[in-house]
Amino acid sequence: MSSIEDRLHELNKLQNEQQRSRRMNDLHPLGKLFFSVFYIVCVMSLNKYDLTGVIYMAVYPAAGFVLGELSFRTGVYRMRLILPLVVFVGIFNPFFDRTPAMQIGSFIVTGGMISMVTLMLKGFYAVLSSYILIATTSIEEICYALRLLHVPKILVMVVLLIYRYFGVMAQEADRITTAYKLRAPSQKGIRYNAWGTLVGGWLLRSMDRAGAVYESMLLRGFRGEYYYPKRKLTAADVLWPLGWTLIIGALTIWRSWRG
Amino acid sequence: MLKIEHLHFAYEKGEEVLSDICLLAQAGESIGVIGANGIGKSTLMKLMVGLYTDYEGVLEVAHHAVTTKNLDHIREHVGYVFQDSDSQLFLSTVEEDVAFGPRNYRLPEDEVERRVTEALQKVHGEHLRKKHTYKLSGGEKKLAAIATILAMEPDIIIMDEPSLALDPKNRRNLIHILNEIDSLKIVTSHDLDFIMDTCERTVLLYEGKIIADGPTEEILKNGKLLDECGLELPLRLQ
Repeated sequence: MSSIEDRLHELNKLQNEQQRSRRMNDLHPLGKLFFSVFYIVCVMSLNKYDLTGVIYMAVYPAAGFVLGELSFRTGVYRMRLILPLVVFVGIFNPFFDRTPAMQIGSFIVTGGMISMVTLMLKGFYAVLSSYILIATTSIEEICYALRLLHVPKILVMVVLLIYRYFGVMAQEADRITTAYKLRAPSQKGIRYNAWGTLVGGWLLRSMDRAGAVYESMLLRGFRGEYYYPKRKLTAADVLWPLGWTLIIGALTIWRSWRG
Repeated sequence: MLKIEHLHFAYEKGEEVLSDICLLAQAGESIGVIGANGIGKSTLMKLMVGLYTDYEGVLEVAHHAVTTKNLDHIREHVGYVFQDSDSQLFLSTVEEDVAFGPRNYRLPEDEVERRVTEALQKVHGEHLRKKHTYKLSGGEKKLAAIATILAMEPDIIIMDEPSLALDPKNRRNLIHILNEIDSLKIVTSHDLDFIMDTCERTVLLYEGKIIADGPTEEILKNGKLLDECGLELPLRLQ
């Protein structure tokens, strides 16, 4: 399997997960979206030296993976491209902040070391909570929730179409690279002088395909807005985000109060 | 139902793709549009659904002229099945995709549900309902694409090369399904045997003009005419 095909396959598996009939998948997307944003804001607002507070915040990703019946390993694997960037954020803190914070035996732990770990964990949790959201909610549902929050329809459509066209572009890229490789079997990768033509062709073909998809949408009455069936709220739809908002909100206030 | 009189169309000024096209079609008819590659079949189909509106002449669909102003009405009455089903199916599941059209017309959810169920039943594709569109085979994609159009309950269904890349079993299934649909059907295809099986009337295009319009058997048995227009007799008649 080519690497592009591999990525497409991964995207398809993620879509499979979104469509599963599990309790967390069936929850109203508005509650899940609201709480995910709330959680990220709370985690980010914790003091950079409050390592204990940040560790407490692991309660949501841990519960989310268990209750959402998601594989932690797969989640981390799928987020592998973002995680290094997130981890990189606080990497220089130990060099800039050398104030001793505590001592473990003869080893002095500096404020910079603590803030580095704290920042890394904060980023890690933000990525995990986003993953919990996207692995249990389809892009259409997320867009529906965004519309309920009165996010302008043009922005929501851009999100939806980028997601759709991403697949279209990846398929075209896969076709072009496969066709190239089949006619250059002994060659490793794609020769630099072919890149211009291939990328140009890829963009033109993707635009053609995207144009056809858009025409198909227009012909079925699309007028700039994607309509999702209205969902009735169940008790679980309210209790899930409310419960978690109270837990995480209380934790944040408590940690801020302690200073 | 469909009225075309002296229709002319050009992508570039002075280079006509279609010239002096005249065609009248009534409800319930089944019309095959045939012709060699690049002759303007797909262009004619796209004109009928209002994807191009800068034509000359008369083009009326469902009693409305095809103009930018009437596009909503026209698209509510005309369904277009694309040659490439991948262009037609863009949502995650077949169910969502089939419901996309009816929802755009703000139909109540129970009506959307009824239409989705009926459309899938008509193409014998109830089992596809919850399937992901990317997981479908070529034949299943074609059925799902037709269901997306049937769910809009159009008066006219236009199909661009519906039998393309289908295996014999799926092709036979498609013929059976098309023959069960009551709407006015306009089918373009190079598969003349398929046209013989699904259309009682055939329109032959050559160099952007209608060369012949009449009963399918009569036109498709005329080897000389087909040969002049760059086509060959259907396989079963060879």
